[in-house]
Amino acid sequence: MKTPRLFRNKIAVAGLALIVLYLLMSVVSLFWLPFDPLNMNAEQILQPPSFATGHLFGTDEFGRDILSRIMKGTAVSFIISVSATALGALVGIFMGVWAGYLGGKADNIIMRIADILFSFPSLLLAIFIMAILGEHTYNVVLAIGIVYIPQFARISRGSIIALKGNEFIRAAKSNGAGRTYILIHHLLPNITAPIIVQISLSLSTAILLESALSFLGLGVQPPNPSWGNMLSSARKVMMFAPWTAVYPGLAIVLLVLGFNLLGDGLRDILDPRLRNVR
Amino acid sequence: MGKYIIKRLLSLVPVLIGVSLIVFFLVRMIPGSALQMYMGTQVEATAEQMEELKRLFGEDKPIPVLYIEWVGDLLKGDFGYSLRTGRPVLPDILNRLPISLELTLYSLILALCIGIPLGVLSSLRQNTFGDFINRIIGLIGLSLPQFWLAALMVIAFSNFQGWIPMGNYISLLENPLKNLKMFFLPSLAIGFGFAAVVMRYTRNSMLEVLQMDYVRTARAKGLPYRKVIIIHALKNAILPVITVTGFNAGYLLGGSIVIEEVFALPGMGRLALYAINQRDYPVIQAIVLVIATLFVLVNLITDLMYAMADPRIRLVDEKR
Amino acid sequence: MKESPILQVQALMTEFKTEHGIVNAVNKVSFEVERGQTLGIVGESGSGKSVTNLSILRLIEYPPGRITGGKVLFHGKDLLDATEQEMLGIRGKHISMIFQDPLTSLNPVIKIWKQIAEALMLHQNMKQKEAKKQAIELLRIIGIPDPEMRAECYPHQFSGGMRQRVMIAMALSCNPDILIADEPTTALDVTIQAQILELIRTRRDNQQTAVIMITHDLGVIAEMCDQVCVMYAGRIVERADVFDLFQSPKHPYTQGLLDSIPRLDRTGTERLHSIKGAPPDLLHLPQGCPFRERCDKAMSRCAIELPPDLTLMGSSNSRKVACWLYSEKEKVDENT
Repeated sequence: MKTPRLFRNKIAVAGLALIVLYLLMSVVSLFWLPFDPLNMNAEQILQPPSFATGHLFGTDEFGRDILSRIMKGTAVSFIISVSATALGALVGIFMGVWAGYLGGKADNIIMRIADILFSFPSLLLAIFIMAILGEHTYNVVLAIGIVYIPQFARISRGSIIALKGNEFIRAAKSNGAGRTYILIHHLLPNITAPIIVQISLSLSTAILLESALSFLGLGVQPPNPSWGNMLSSARKVMMFAPWTAVYPGLAIVLLVLGFNLLGDGLRDILDPRLRNVR
Repeated sequence: MGKYIIKRLLSLVPVLIGVSLIVFFLVRMIPGSALQMYMGTQVEATAEQMEELKRLFGEDKPIPVLYIEWVGDLLKGDFGYSLRTGRPVLPDILNRLPISLELTLYSLILALCIGIPLGVLSSLRQNTFGDFINRIIGLIGLSLPQFWLAALMVIAFSNFQGWIPMGNYISLLENPLKNLKMFFLPSLAIGFGFAAVVMRYTRNSMLEVLQMDYVRTARAKGLPYRKVIIIHALKNAILPVITVTGFNAGYLLGGSIVIEEVFALPGMGRLALYAINQRDYPVIQAIVLVIATLFVLVNLITDLMYAMADPRIRLVDEKR
Repeated sequence: MKESPILQVQALMTEFKTEHGIVNAVNKVSFEVERGQTLGIVGESGSGKSVTNLSILRLIEYPPGRITGGKVLFHGKDLLDATEQEMLGIRGKHISMIFQDPLTSLNPVIKIWKQIAEALMLHQNMKQKEAKKQAIELLRIIGIPDPEMRAECYPHQFSGGMRQRVMIAMALSCNPDILIADEPTTALDVTIQAQILELIRTRRDNQQTAVIMITHDLGVIAEMCDQVCVMYAGRIVERADVFDLFQSPKHPYTQGLLDSIPRLDRTGTERLHSIKGAPPDLLHLPQGCPFRERCDKAMSRCAIELPPDLTLMGSSNSRKVACWLYSEKEKVDENT
């Protein structure tokens, strides 16, 4: 049996590997952590990383183990980014597909709403929504999800419009297929490719958005660890204890990189035009 | 061409109205009205004083009326008064706007100057080691949280004079050298990520264009390869890059909020954060409105620039 | 006294690297072109005709393609040995090429006059103003109405026929010795085809330009060409004067091509003739003659050995066929 195309693409595999690593870490964190991430220990304040003390990434300004806090934050980040992306995708695709398919007035109205949402820079909109809803973790999901709606709407609408004029749609219609049938059986399966790529990219930006919000104090609230708020509290001490800032940030970079690699690899697979000629 | 511009400007109006509606009503939804916060520390006030306070804080009229009044004031240039400081909002914003704009502009320029040449080079050397490295760096650039990059810069450069602004602002006119020095790191923090985006788009676009027949024609005419690239290929490849730049302008503006915070630059983003924390409605309204309007305008300008660059779009309405 | 040919292609070989192996798109191809002569190259898609001519101008991109052997003598000088700098002085100036699809072959964001003037400025050192005037003049000559206004237009504002005229104007602007026309009329309506061919013919007659006409349309060959080469699977299988070729085709493939043309004078009950089988997979060429599997007259020798280029005597000009049928009958003069 030939290996599935996904696994032949080295970039996608590398991304997938990183993501799986983090997934494992988050699952493990539910059962075991090297130290208690909330345990403040005045004697262990700002310890540099070392094998001897057991604090592989050092401790923060409250004596808490950074590695444990990073691990605990993984699960939160995953849950938030997946939920937010799912929310944005479901609502956005629904809107976009109907807008593209129906055209005319419905299209206009739906896309106007999307455009207005789109008028706000993502981070600003997220901050704004968080300010209204209050600083709870579940609101972060809502905020980021809303930010994503216009993006998914645009992509789905664009794909539907491109497909609408194709012959096979006309053929289906002349065979007596109704609107909903065509939508579900003919159109939706063909737009999966750009949607999948967008989902992967949205997952990566969701993590960046969530950590930015936490950094600004609007996301996950201390003492619960989130990579973003760890960086925020590190600001005061990072000049002489750089590990407090370096490691949480690194955690963000590698997971986001994982999603980006996966998205790139998927795009390579699904869009053969960009493959080189060799 | 003129008709096209006017049409586009007109289509802005409903969008701007929608934006202002959202801003106004959503701000009202922020829990904990300003009046309550103000009252929190005061002793009980008399009924008259409450009436007066209510009027001052704008809570005596129904909301739709307040909205109309607000829009009316806006058009007159009155953006209200800060509930926190009592000062008029507009001058504060106008003081800080140029700083944020400067930061965004520098980031944009930096990103384009890094991204486009690297993208072109990468496309010409497809699949060589250099291309591979470029793409890796590009992907990493996309994955960096801006505030982390900024934090690392602060750690690394804190001992060097003049590279970290930390609250002091020197304008371009006063002292160009100090100004550029001061903005370099913050712009890099925002621009690095965007440079990665630009590089990837340029590379992909060039790869597509290089396969085109007209590139072959140009070579068949005897044009040296470099001229072919710059005159024929790049002119076409740059079009999608213009579009993506416009779309991402918002990303740059948003990024400035966080970077201003880290580098302590007195820009609009910081003001917005304070205002949100303090429930300072008028300020929040004004800033969000200004940023959103800017963003919409930038998108319009991007569309126009694209139309100017691509004659196929521009001349669609003209008769043969 | 007969002039020596201005272009001599000798045993040209060009290969392409693909995921599945190496393809010899041009496999020991030889032909000659003389001043003022029109040579037709006819063959199916994939026969190697376009690649051959791109190889002459060294426009083959590596990766994945590469010229691996042979000589291309232009006025006696081997172009395959020339430096890129020297080639820049040949392309567009001494040897020009026009392509099949004029819409995609013209740059969509540059004005028409500029694209024509480019070659002039490059090869004749003209200043922009003068080149623009010349370009407008060329537009007039090739029959574009209202050339001053038209010159400011962009390619998408022209019709297909006009675009192809522009391509021709571009190619002929510096009076090249050779014009290579790669399927110039395939993308055009039949009525426009005639105009384009007429244009090429006029310019050729006026300037004594040699023309290499690549096409799969035998009608075009009949109208325009003096000599014809028939290509199959990267090789030339027959070469003859146009009249001789149509009168008495020698290679079974040529015969098949001519038989396939629907004709009015055939009786209504006859089926349309077609060559059985399909063009060969260049990655897995059979041993011996590549046409063997589709050939009615294949002999056992055809499966073992590749037929060499044989010269046929007894006709007005030299005829060459690569077919074992003719090795005993006519005098053999091996050429490879």
